[in-house]
Amino acid sequence: MAIIPEKDRKKLTDIFKSLSNDVRVIFFTQEFECEHCKMTRNLLEEVAALSEKISLETYDFVKEAELAKKYGIDRIPATALLGDRDYGIRFYGVPAGYEFTSLIEDIMDISKRDAGLPEEILNELSKIDKPVHIQVLISPT
Amino acid sequence: MEFPGIILDTSSISPLKKPDRGVLYDMLIVGGGAAAMSAAVYAARKVINFALITLDFGGLIKETSEIDNYLGFQNIQARDLIEKFEEHVKSFDIPINFGVPVIEVTKEDNIFNVLLEDRSKFSGHTVIFATGEHHRPLNIPGEREFLGKGVAYCATCDAPLFRDKKVVVAGGGNSAFITALDLMRVNAEVFLVNVITGWQADETVQRRVKQYEKVHFLDNHKILRIDGKDSVESVLIKKSSTGTEEKIQCDGVFIEVGLIPNSEPVKNLVKLNELDEVVVDCVGRTGIPGLYAAGDVTSVPYKQIVISAGDGAKAALSAYDFLIKNSIL
Repeated sequence: MAIIPEKDRKKLTDIFKSLSNDVRVIFFTQEFECEHCKMTRNLLEEVAALSEKISLETYDFVKEAELAKKYGIDRIPATALLGDRDYGIRFYGVPAGYEFTSLIEDIMDISKRDAGLPEEILNELSKIDKPVHIQVLISPT
Repeated sequence: MEFPGIILDTSSISPLKKPDRGVLYDMLIVGGGAAAMSAAVYAARKVINFALITLDFGGLIKETSEIDNYLGFQNIQARDLIEKFEEHVKSFDIPINFGVPVIEVTKEDNIFNVLLEDRSKFSGHTVIFATGEHHRPLNIPGEREFLGKGVAYCATCDAPLFRDKKVVVAGGGNSAFITALDLMRVNAEVFLVNVITGWQADETVQRRVKQYEKVHFLDNHKILRIDGKDSVESVLIKKSSTGTEEKIQCDGVFIEVGLIPNSEPVKNLVKLNELDEVVVDCVGRTGIPGLYAAGDVTSVPYKQIVISAGDGAKAALSAYDFLIKNSIL
């Protein structure tokens, strides 16, 4: 049975019509899949099937250790979203609940190659000249 | 293990037509709840050049689970009702600025400027201010410390975290009882604590909650503090009539004791009442020519979705009359 309900599937099909550039979804699981790895893979397969602009690549975290290292992935299930470059977007665990909306938002942003920030903010950000480590902890409330 | 389900909130995803910062709009509608969305529908049907500026869609409606007092829907999931509102608004191809809070509304030479947190600014001949409300805190020790560690204000968001747990719900109105219903669905033991004697919730909701075996009714009790180590472990309550104190062991506290109007952006522009609500007349006028307000942020009593929707429509029509009378349209 499909994970994404028919109603949401229709909405996503419409939304994905506005995808302008390709999005690569790179998923790391392993041969003997954990429960959450399998859930994530099934979900991503359903998402990728809704648009030709979204491609899903599934890798074995153990066998493709070098590739996992390249993407900085040290645990699974891990999902990396890439455009024509790596924007550093990773999802660990099942992107279920509200995380699913975040996953779709990220796919849209990557396809646009633009996060929609106003020019003033982008100008301010361009002044940052050294690495800054930011961790944002959120709750739906 | 079953798949936990997905939540698809399309309001932040669907491509929106953005308002133009260089345009002087006839009307700016600030807010995204029932009042603002209803105003938008009425403004769109009058073919006014306007923009909608909102942080989100649905406002506080998002934080409830189901609604059974909106005309035409005997029982509808809040999410579905918001979706219907949103679909209706978006059917008009309106420019919408989404996701950034408004920090101030000013007026200069008969033009309103709406300033946003990201430093963008939109201008209009009229403004309909419909920013709604946010949750009132209890202002007791432990409330702030345990926020997100057992203290919550949104049952729709957080009730599933309290499956089989013990939860105190502060409040006695519809919101508190709907929260109790949400907690009942996850088999939580619920302690409803109301500071006054009796319960203000509608009889129909009270009846549903009272059928539940694991609910305790503690009216005439005040919550004094929330205690715990890393997360909520207990609350201390006091019976107002006798002064007797009692500790309730619990894992969570949901606070549903009323709301505070989001009137901060207009506080220097317009008259607020003692509750910080924007004072309006029967057609949404604020006393500042061209500035209208509607919905929960206003002095109109009985904060209900249907009332907000009606007042949003009134404010839009009233602002339309203003534009005509001042030869702007």
